[in-house]
Formats: sequence, C-alpha cells, structure tokens
Amino acid sequence: MKDIMRVKCLLSSDVETLINQQIKKEAHSSAIYLSMASWCNRNGYDGSADYFFAQAEEERLHQLKFFKYVLDMGGNAVSPEITQVKAEYNSFREVFEEALEQEISVTQSIKNIAARCHKEQDFVTLEFLNWFFKEQREEEYKARRAVELFEVIGEEGTGRWQIDKHVGQITYSEA
Amino acid sequence: MQNLTIQSSVDFVEVFSTKAGAIYQSDVENCWYIDFAGKLARFDYRNILKLKKAVYHIDIEDLLLNNTKSPDVEILFICACDHCYVLSLIEIIALKELLQGTFVMLELNHIIYDRLHRIIS
Repeated sequence: MKDIMRVKCLLSSDVETLINQQIKKEAHSSAIYLSMASWCNRNGYDGSADYFFAQAEEERLHQLKFFKYVLDMGGNAVSPEITQVKAEYNSFREVFEEALEQEISVTQSIKNIAARCHKEQDFVTLEFLNWFFKEQREEEYKARRAVELFEVIGEEGTGRWQIDKHVGQITYSEA
Repeated sequence: MQNLTIQSSVDFVEVFSTKAGAIYQSDVENCWYIDFAGKLARFDYRNILKLKKAVYHIDIEDLLLNNTKSPDVEILFICACDHCYVLSLIEIIALKELLQGTFVMLELNHIIYDRLHRIIS
C-alpha cells in the first residue's frame, strides 16, 4: 500500500497543527504590538510608537514565514482569527514589560514545536526553526534592554522622555 | 446522488473496517473509497482530511447531553467534494471510529515505509 499521506505532505499532522497555532500566535503578537504602538502614540511617546510599529511588522513577517513553510511542505496553512487584543495599559513601563512577556512566550512556544520535531525526528522542520531561535535571541534582548532602561534612566523628571528617545536605538549585535 | 460504478480492475486495499463500514485505498488513483452509510464514496487527499476534520469537530458529548428538541442528525458537507453525509448520532460515532482506525493504520503504514523501504532502498 502506498504511503499517500507522506507523498502529499512532509509534515505530520501534529507538527502541522503546532505550526498553525504558532501562525496564530505570531499574528496575535503583531496585533498586540500594533495596539501598543497606538497606546504609545496616544500618550505622546512617539519614539516607542515607531519601535512598536516596527515590531508589529516583524511579527507579521514571522507569521508569513511559518505560513509559507506549511504550504511549501504540502500542508494546510490556516489564516487565523485574532481576538482579544488589549488596547489600554496602566503605564508606559507596563507596555514594555508586557512586550518582553510576549517575546518570552513566543520563544517558549517555538521550543515546544522543536521538542515535538525532535520526538518525531523531523529534522527538516527543526532546521527551519533554527532561524526563529536566532531571531528570538535578538527579540528578547531588545525587549529586555528596553525594560532595563526604566531602571537605568529612571522615570522621574524627564526620564520617560529620555527612555522614549532611547528605545529606538537598541540594537543587537551578535557575539 | 450519482451512482459510482467501480471497475473490477481497480486495485483496492482495505485500510480499516468495522461492522459499520470500511475504507479502502486505491494506489492507482491515489485516493480512498469510503464504504459507509450505504454508499461508496471517493475521497482524495484533501477531501479525506476535510472529512476527518469535520467529523472530529462534532461534539458528540454535547449532542448526547443536550435536551433540545432538535433531531440528533448532523449534515456533513465537505467543501468542493461530491459527497455529503446525513448521519444520525450512532452513525457519527461509527464513522468517527472508522476514520480514527484508518488514520492509525495510515500512520502505521507510514512508519513501516520509513523504517523499511525508504532506508533500505
């Protein structure tokens, strides 16, 4: 009996489901960053708004990268429905703390996919995921540095204005 | 409903069967034939996955427990597929069992292929 399922699609149905969940997660991330950009803009933090606009765009690109991979491997990529995007934040600092939390949860969920791939010996997908792991190094670094600005500069006086100016300058250079 | 005439030359391999029905694979046509609810229906790769999704998504527990007066009949309509099923609750459970068994056997076949044929040849 022919192995038709494998001939049609490289991914197992479990890995396909996990990647589709990741597509949704990345889309959700992108929407959250857009919402953060909106909050920052409304509250006069222009530098941070630009930073979050760029982050939203980046998450969108990650989503498309996963989307295209599933399709290229013969799977079914599902365009996700995005709901429950938080629109209001209590403070400037809270926005950045949640951004970091968001990045940590993305890293964790990619690790989950990789764990599943290891179990199935799906080295093709593992290799594909490596790009994302490298990307997450940068994303988490930037988010962590941004939160640390609140400690280093402090929020008193013109502190928030300074932080807003410096957020856009955070860059990651690989060791 | 169209009548399917199956040529005797078509090579069928039984993938899985229960008392309620059976699923056969045709290597020549790269598709599956589902013998269930009194008809033999042809499903290609995309459609059988859509059928699986549709059947697995039916909340059987909810149908069993809710006491509304609606009949416990589900209409399974698969987009871009020639067939549709109108099934009672008992039949849904039977079809689900049939599909679950089939996908386990297909997975097993895949493992055998990977371990034996693809590595040795």
